Amino acid sequence: MMMKGYAGRILEVDLASRTFAFKPLDEDVARLYIGGKGYGTRLLYDMTEAGVDPLGPANPLIFATGPLNGSVAPQSNRFAVVCKSPLTGGIGNAACGGSFAYGMKRAGIDILICKNQSPTPIRLDINGDKDEVRFLDATDLWGKGTYDTQKRLVGRKYNAVIGPAGENLVLYAGIVSNERIAGRTGVGAVMGSKKLKAISVDGSRKLEMDDPEAFKEYTKTVRALFRDHPVLGHSLEAYGTAGIVKTTNARNILPTHNFKYGHFKDAMSLTGEYMHDHTLVGTKSSCLHCPVMCGRQVEVEGKGVVKGPEYETLGLMGSNLDIADIKKVQEWNYAADDMGMDTISLGAVLGFTMELQERGMLQSGLAFGDPAGITEMIHDIAHRRDLGNELADGVKRMSHKFGGREFAMHVKGLELSAYDPRGSFAQGVEYATTNRGGCHVQGASMYLESVGPLTINPQNLKLKADIPVVQQNLACTINSMVLCIFTTYGMIPKAVHEMDPKSWQYRLAVTMLENSGPLLRIVQGIKGVPMMWWEKWMTYITGTTITSGHLQEIGGRIFNLERMFNLREGLSARDDTLPPRMLYEPIFKHMDRGHPLEQLLPRYYRLRGWDADGVPTRDTLERLQVRV
Amino acid sequence: MRVSVEPTYEMTKILGANRFEVDVAEAATVADVVETTKARVGPEFEKLVRLAAIAVNGVLVSYRNGMKTRLAEGDEVRFVKASAGG
Repeated sequence: MMMKGYAGRILEVDLASRTFAFKPLDEDVARLYIGGKGYGTRLLYDMTEAGVDPLGPANPLIFATGPLNGSVAPQSNRFAVVCKSPLTGGIGNAACGGSFAYGMKRAGIDILICKNQSPTPIRLDINGDKDEVRFLDATDLWGKGTYDTQKRLVGRKYNAVIGPAGENLVLYAGIVSNERIAGRTGVGAVMGSKKLKAISVDGSRKLEMDDPEAFKEYTKTVRALFRDHPVLGHSLEAYGTAGIVKTTNARNILPTHNFKYGHFKDAMSLTGEYMHDHTLVGTKSSCLHCPVMCGRQVEVEGKGVVKGPEYETLGLMGSNLDIADIKKVQEWNYAADDMGMDTISLGAVLGFTMELQERGMLQSGLAFGDPAGITEMIHDIAHRRDLGNELADGVKRMSHKFGGREFAMHVKGLELSAYDPRGSFAQGVEYATTNRGGCHVQGASMYLESVGPLTINPQNLKLKADIPVVQQNLACTINSMVLCIFTTYGMIPKAVHEMDPKSWQYRLAVTMLENSGPLLRIVQGIKGVPMMWWEKWMTYITGTTITSGHLQEIGGRIFNLERMFNLREGLSARDDTLPPRMLYEPIFKHMDRGHPLEQLLPRYYRLRGWDADGVPTRDTLERLQVRV
Repeated sequence: MRVSVEPTYEMTKILGANRFEVDVAEAATVADVVETTKARVGPEFEKLVRLAAIAVNGVLVSYRNGMKTRLAEGDEVRFVKASAGG
């Protein structure tokens, strides 16, 4: 009998033949890979051949939930999207909140695989109670923004849609559910290549749990813990993720002037605190059943009350462009969301374009510190018009065409997130090695070295290869259950937040953490008792004991399978790097160089069980049961 | 010598500025800058200082010599609060 927490079904939909089939979920695979990103990666590896065209019919678009989705546990309404990325040519994946994951579980669908391509715009209407999939003409929706599209899906509560950016195959287009987006790696372009405009899903199934009473009682405890937590219960509600702008700016890691600098002198007007005092009209949870009110509501002229910008958008489309006007960033955030585009990649592309303009390498009319032309360019990109057609391909391709590889801020083709690794060495290792490219949420090492309440010295070599391994493994499992990565912020207890960062006690704690390498390695392997809430939830729901040791093993498995996918697609150790600006241009007074990646990568490879060329050894693959 | 100070957002409300400069003696320390600012603003500032880390040119003083970290002309002293991510 299938483990609890799963519906036990995969729905395969063929968009060319307009046929569908329900197939059983493989419990052995679920035990090895959980669900979400993990199971999705396994499917992608098995369903594709090397060299598959990411925008062609043979690239499957996989929507995957995990055993925690549908449970109403805090932060549990998320789904993963997995495919080959048209932006990087390697593994593509993104996670998204909103409401779609809940709809999938109500429909009794663990995983939805969209295969082949429709010749004409289409949308899917899935009724899990009737085991029915309707293929509906979407010509009337084609060309509409994501907000309008969702409004027009009358009577449909659980939707995943693309905007014009996805339709026009912008390589960093995303997939939107309510106000949230599966933004990174161009998953929206893959959906657009299939002419798939929207998916609506519903049913009335309830999630079956192994021990529902224990789950229910324990979740009350967790909700109370979250309510009282300085981040999950307070600062995220007060300031959103925008609350981090002041911190990263003070620590010289806020991208400024296309990552040329790490400090923006006018950052104050981009902060969550400033937003709170000047432009915020409300707070909300943007994800169904989540008690963490991290969502912002702001007013954009002509659009009414809309979702406000996150930290990444304020960084990449604010300070990175030398723009201090938060109202402009709010307007562009809305435009990008409506067009269905990743604001991280978009901001990096605009910054790169401005530097090309500054250096006389490309005439775009876009200049640092000047908002003129940006709104128009966002729409030009979404519609691949004029110069927007070039910007729609991302900085890597632009740099090959126009020059500027030294300051094209990407890793493996995925544009960098808003944490400068020259002030956050572990984050730099993470950027260089994360399989989908220059991403921060598939590890979030920076939280332990430059952003959180207890941070180790970010600019020595201690633990800088170790932390990314542990964090990446954990994040793989978080994205497979599928939970919000913010849940991990609750790991740091309230007492730590209340320490005086200048006290001897704090310095002692930092010293102990910095020298915890051996302990960290031991803890990785312990399969003792479930301690963290996600371990307990998994245990109560599935009936299988899950501990940190299990999750490190599963996470390592998922990470190595992603790695093998990338190697099969032709990526290699050569791609485990950082942009030249990050390696060679110093931004700290006490340093005469950038990030010391070459000193850290060999250790990272060893910890991963890879050879000197970054290839997982046979022993590692066997130990982790990675079948390739 | 002159150094610049960037407060936390909460501090700006009592300081009235989000960036200002202070004149301190040569080889002054971070503690001297904090005392100079406290003298300017008053005891309300003390509580906010307690909750904040302090960075000099982007580097937390707890990784250097703490409040005894010596400053140089043109240094930027920034007060930092821990945050969540995004």
